Amino acid sequence: MRTVVCVKQVPDTTEVKVDPQTGTLIRAGVPSILNPYDHFAVEWALKLKARHGGEVTVLTMGPPQAKAVLQLALALGCDRAMLLSDRAFAGSDTWATSYALARAVKKIGKFDLILCGQQAIDGDTAQVGPGVAQSLHIPQITFCDSIEVEGRKAKVQRHIDDGYEIVEAKLPVLCTMSLPHAHPLPWPSFPKVAQARSKVLEVWTAADIGAEPEKIGLKGSPTQVHKVYPPPLRAKGTVFTGSASEMASKLLDILRQENFIKP
Amino acid sequence: MPGLDAISRGLMFDSLKQYAKRRIPYDLLRELDRKNEFPADILKEMYDTDILGIHLLLIPSEYGGLGGNTFDITRVCEALAHIDLGIATSVFATFLGSDPIRVGGTEEQKRHWMGRIAKEALLVAYGATEPDAGSDLVALTTRATHVVKNGKIVGYRITGNKQWISNGGVADVITILAAAPGGPSWFLVEKTAEGFSANHHEDKYGIRLSNTAGLALDDVYVPADHLIGGVEGQGLLQAQAVFGYTRLMVAAFGLGAGWEALETAIRYSQQRIQAGGPLSKKQGYMLKLIVPNAVKLEAARAYIEETAHRLDGDEHGLQTEGAIAKLSATEAGNKTAEDAIQALGGYGYTKDFPVEKIKRDVKITCIYEGTSEIMEMTIQRGRWQEHLKSRGQYYEGQAAEMDRLQAECPSVGAGSAALALRALNQVLEQVRLQRLTRHQHVSMRLGELIAQAETAAAFARAAAQPHYSESVRFDAEAWQAMSRVYAREAALDLCLKGTKLILGAGPLPEGFVQALGLDAALAAQAGSLEDQDLIARKLTEVFKSR
Repeated sequence: MRTVVCVKQVPDTTEVKVDPQTGTLIRAGVPSILNPYDHFAVEWALKLKARHGGEVTVLTMGPPQAKAVLQLALALGCDRAMLLSDRAFAGSDTWATSYALARAVKKIGKFDLILCGQQAIDGDTAQVGPGVAQSLHIPQITFCDSIEVEGRKAKVQRHIDDGYEIVEAKLPVLCTMSLPHAHPLPWPSFPKVAQARSKVLEVWTAADIGAEPEKIGLKGSPTQVHKVYPPPLRAKGTVFTGSASEMASKLLDILRQENFIKP
Repeated sequence: MPGLDAISRGLMFDSLKQYAKRRIPYDLLRELDRKNEFPADILKEMYDTDILGIHLLLIPSEYGGLGGNTFDITRVCEALAHIDLGIATSVFATFLGSDPIRVGGTEEQKRHWMGRIAKEALLVAYGATEPDAGSDLVALTTRATHVVKNGKIVGYRITGNKQWISNGGVADVITILAAAPGGPSWFLVEKTAEGFSANHHEDKYGIRLSNTAGLALDDVYVPADHLIGGVEGQGLLQAQAVFGYTRLMVAAFGLGAGWEALETAIRYSQQRIQAGGPLSKKQGYMLKLIVPNAVKLEAARAYIEETAHRLDGDEHGLQTEGAIAKLSATEAGNKTAEDAIQALGGYGYTKDFPVEKIKRDVKITCIYEGTSEIMEMTIQRGRWQEHLKSRGQYYEGQAAEMDRLQAECPSVGAGSAALALRALNQVLEQVRLQRLTRHQHVSMRLGELIAQAETAAAFARAAAQPHYSESVRFDAEAWQAMSRVYAREAALDLCLKGTKLILGAGPLPEGFVQALGLDAALAAQAGSLEDQDLIARKLTEVFKSR
C-alpha cells in the first residue's frame, strides 16, 4: 500500500499568547512542532504499513526549517520525505496550498491513501485536506478516528457531533485524522533519529512540481486576511445561590422555560 | 568532532522531554525523593534503544554509539537537568565511568567494553573517590597486587574502599582506581566479582533518587586484560585528561537546573497578584530575584558553549576552562534555585512546588567533580602560569581583543569586559610584585575573579555573533542587554574586589586605583537599570504563565 501523509510545522500554540492590543501572536521563544493532528496521521500511516506493507511518503510545504518535522516523520518510520520550498509559495492560502500539495502528490506517483490532520493548530481552518482531495478528484473522509483497509476498500470511523459513524470508500481516498483526547503520540528513540538522517529527503521547488505560477503564492490565493483577533469571550454562565432545594427549583424552572423538559 | 546536526539534536531532546512528561511526572520524582529510592525501571527505559537509548549519545559511533560531541553532550546534560538532576547524575555516572576506557583503553578494550555498554545498556560507575582521598587522589589507599602464574602477570587482586560512588549500588560495571605496583591504574570490575560489595544507598540532602554508595573490595580478582590501557601507572593522567569536558557536563547541569527553577519563578510571577498587579510587573521583585540570575546563567552558557566548541575543534585538555565553566554555571544555578524559593514565597518553601527540591539537588553540582573551591584553585593555578609566562600580556591581549569587538559591535558590553580584563591584569601584577599568592585566600579569590572576567569576555563574543546558538531562547536585544549587564558588573567587581584583596594583605601602591580603571568602571554603570528592565520584560515574554 502506498500512503502519502501531508503534514505542517506549526508553532506550539500551548506556548503562544495573543497580544490583546494588536491581536497578533507573540511568537518570541515559541518552539515549532509537528502539528499534533498530522502527528496522529503519521502514526496511522505507519500502523497501516505495519499491517499491509508498502511505503509511506511524508510531504510538507514550508520554509527550509520545516525539514525538522519531516525528519521526525522519517525517524518514526516513514520511508521518504518531500519538502516543497520556494519563495514562489510564500503567502499561499489554503486554496493555493491545496493545489501545490496536490501537484506534489501527482509527482510522487501512484498512491492508495492520503492522510492529513483534520486541521492545523495555528490556523484551524480544516480546509487543506479537503482541498487536496478536490484538486486530485478523489473521495475524502474527514475527522477520522481509525481506518481499516480491506482489499481496495477503506472502512473508516469518523466522529460526528453526537457520536461516530462508519464510512466506506474505495481506494484511493483522502482521510483527515482527528486526535482522540489524551492520546499519547509516538516519539522516536535517539538511534531512530540518527538513522533517519540517511533516508531520502528531497526539496522540490514550484518548477519541480510543475505548478502554474498564477495558482500559487499570493497570486493564487483568493483569501485575504483583514484582521486577526481572539474570539470574544463567551458570556458568563448563571450561578445559582441558596439552599440545595432552592437552586434545584431554579434550575427546573429554566429547563421548563427552554422546553428541555415538559412543564 | 562533528557530532549531531541541530535538527537531530532537537528531535532527540523532544523525545526525551515527551518521555519525561509521560513517565517521570513531578509527583513521581517527589515520591522517589521522599523514599530515597533509585528508579531502576526508568533508567532501564531511558537506556532501552527502542524507547530512548540516551546512553548511545555518549558512545563513539565506531563502538555502536551515536558519537555525540562535547556540544551535544553538554546540551543533553542541560536537558536532563531540566527534568531531574538525580536522573541526570545516573546517566552522567555511566559516561564518567566509561571515560577511563575511552581515554586510556586499548583498541580491543574500547571495542569490547564500549560495545557492551551500547548494546547491553550497562550502567557504569566511576570509582575514584575514597574515604580519605577526594580531589587529592595521590592519597589513594586501594591496592592492586599482581597474580603471577608461570612467571607471567595473569591478573590482579584489588582491596580497598571507595566512597560517594554515583550508581555504586546499581552499576553493572565499575571502573576502579587502585594503586598497582607500577602506580595508580584503572581496573574494570564487574558487580558479580567475588569480594565486591556495595554499601547502602546514602541518605543525601538532594539528588536523593540517584544511587550513591560506598564500595568495598575485598581481595577482588580481575584478569590482566581488565587493566585499562594494559600499562600500570597511567591512572592519574587518564583521570586528569577528561576534566575539561566532564566538568563542562556538570556545568551544564547547573545551567539546566538553574533555568528550571528560574522558569518556574518567572511563570509564577505572572500569576501571583499582589497589591493590584502581578509580581512580574514589580521592578523590585524582578531586578532582585529574577534578572540577575538569568544574566549569570546566560553568561555561563556562553562560556560553556565556547569551551565545548573549542574541545570539538582541535584543542585538548582545557582544564582551566572546564573549571571556569563549572564554577560559573554551578554557583549561578545554586544561587538561582535559592532565589527561586524566595520568589515563590511560602509556596516555594513547600514540597508542592519543585523549587525547594531543585535547590537541594543543584547543590551537588558545586561539590561533585571537584568542589567550587577546588575549581578556584585550579583556575588560579592555570592562569597564574599564563600571567607569568606572558609577562603580564595574557590578559592585556584579551582586553585588546575586547577593544576591537567594542569598535565592531558596541552593544554587547565588550568595552566593560575589556575594563574587567585590564583590572584583572593589574591585580595579578600587584599580587606578583607583593608575592601575595603565599596567602591561599588571595589565590582562591583570584580564581573567582578570573572566572568572572573571562566569562564576561566570552559572553560579549557570543552576543556579538550574527546567529546565536540553538540553545539561546532570547532575541538579540535581550541577549545583548544581558551581556552588557554581566560585563558592567564584572568591571566594577574586578576593581573593587581586587583592590580589597590587595589592601587586605599589604600596602596599596600609589596610582594603583587609577591604573585599575575604577573611574571608567564606574562610568560604565550608566544605563544599567534600563537594561535590567528590558531583560525583565523579555523574560516574561519568553516564559509565559501557563
